[in-house]
Amino acid sequence: MSSNEQIPVVEGLFAETAAGPRLLGSRCRSCNTPYFPRSPACHHPVCTRSEVDDTAFGPRGKLWSWAVQNYPPPPPARFDEPYVPYTVGVVDLEDGLRVVGRMSVDDAKSLRAGVEVELAIEPLCHDEQGREVMSWAFRPL
Amino acid sequence: MRDVAVLGVGLHPFGKFEDKSVTQLCREATEAALGDAGLAWTDVQAISAASSRFSGGKGWGLNGNDVVDDMGRTGIPVFNLSAGCAAGGNAFNIGWTLVASGLHDCVLVVGGEKMPKGFIQTSGVDEETDLEYLRQLCVGMPGPAFWAALCRRRMEDFGTTDEDLARIAVKAHQLSAHNPNARFRNEFTLEEVLASPMVSDPLHLYEICPVSDGAAAAVLCSAEMARKHTTKPVWVASSAVATAGFDDGCPNGLGTVVPPADRTLHSEASVAVSRALESAGVAPGELDLVELQDNTVFYELAFPEDWGLCQPGEAERLVEKGETLPTGRLPINPSGGFLSFGEATTAMGVFQVCELAWQLRGEAGARQVPGARLGLGQTLGLGGNGTAVVLKT
Repeated sequence: MSSNEQIPVVEGLFAETAAGPRLLGSRCRSCNTPYFPRSPACHHPVCTRSEVDDTAFGPRGKLWSWAVQNYPPPPPARFDEPYVPYTVGVVDLEDGLRVVGRMSVDDAKSLRAGVEVELAIEPLCHDEQGREVMSWAFRPL
Repeated sequence: MRDVAVLGVGLHPFGKFEDKSVTQLCREATEAALGDAGLAWTDVQAISAASSRFSGGKGWGLNGNDVVDDMGRTGIPVFNLSAGCAAGGNAFNIGWTLVASGLHDCVLVVGGEKMPKGFIQTSGVDEETDLEYLRQLCVGMPGPAFWAALCRRRMEDFGTTDEDLARIAVKAHQLSAHNPNARFRNEFTLEEVLASPMVSDPLHLYEICPVSDGAAAAVLCSAEMARKHTTKPVWVASSAVATAGFDDGCPNGLGTVVPPADRTLHSEASVAVSRALESAGVAPGELDLVELQDNTVFYELAFPEDWGLCQPGEAERLVEKGETLPTGRLPINPSGGFLSFGEATTAMGVFQVCELAWQLRGEAGARQVPGARLGLGQTLGLGGNGTAVVLKT
């Protein structure tokens, strides 16, 4: 069972824009603090104005660290059977956000802290209807 | 504030106990602590309990009320503290406050847990507004992968090797072999640790703490009361609680702000520890032993450095030279730690107090830190909760 249809794992977290994939978050108009996902308020302790604007983040950043998920994770994590271990990354975006996401790599051994990465939107798994369930990921440049 | 003594401690051994309720585990720990203190249940004037996420408490975290119902209702005030895996440490802090403030002369601090099988799911909320839930749904990065990412970064920064990591697990079980309360008491070789299944590269199964059932209790009392019951009391030098700062670099939820370069991770732990040391008037180098939250071997390398107990990048060599053994210059987790006990999450802050008290009284047998007079305990938990306690003779 397969189709080319794609659905986001969760609505409103990322988008394929004219400029490429972006994460959908917020930035404080007053103190410039970035948030992902979107935040209705600024949480900086000394920021008193708390006016935030919708902001698209990405695509470039540097890999801070990574780990391999060697065993099938518990719910609500989703994956196709048979389970294939994947790599997760922690990426410092140029926008000032430290974000977690899947790493789009076949072998984690090729990774090093500080490597340049770029945001991508990639399939996480398939749903019952055979649609691709999409999430954000990072691809080394 | 008044001086506060740890008059009695009690631990239910850790393991899997299919036939016992969490209340039964807490009863056995409580009875042991009261017996150790030479007191009766009716001497307890208040309870400060860790709220369990997984067991008992009527689903509301009312685990202290379970203890009162079980031991016999005396009408005493009960405080149930929720702080993730730091709940036991938080309960200790409130118990200490109740005695130190003069409100009560004798307070029972208790934490117990029966854990579900498998690694802990971080969040208990299945909603897309919950950032931990979103993290698992969209990325799939459970606790061990989080620890593995922190550990990998250290390997990149300091050249930490797989052997450096495995050596810490070897040391933990070298000590737990002498601890009758520990769940995992088999010694392992370096090769055996490295041959255990990879849970989340770079962390192997034996380098991560599993979950356990267990309970711990401590009886805290005023100096006046302590002197009536013992000639060698263990004192609370300080107790501190903190939460993580805004610019902490730990990648919780879907992410955070990129922190300033010099910020440590897990600021909830380092701030709680520095507050405790400062308030006790103790320099890091004066500590005789440390019981720290070793959910993974990585923390046994990172935390001593974060807290100024050794230099950045020095921890691997201290472990290699045996300096973190009870006979070394920086004894860490002589109990065998979470690696050997498994984590009964909300009991752990009180579990550490038990070990510290036994060490300071010189009752720790083959894992005794010679001449221990000053010990630090530390926990951290979901939500950015951190606690620290310093006990002294």
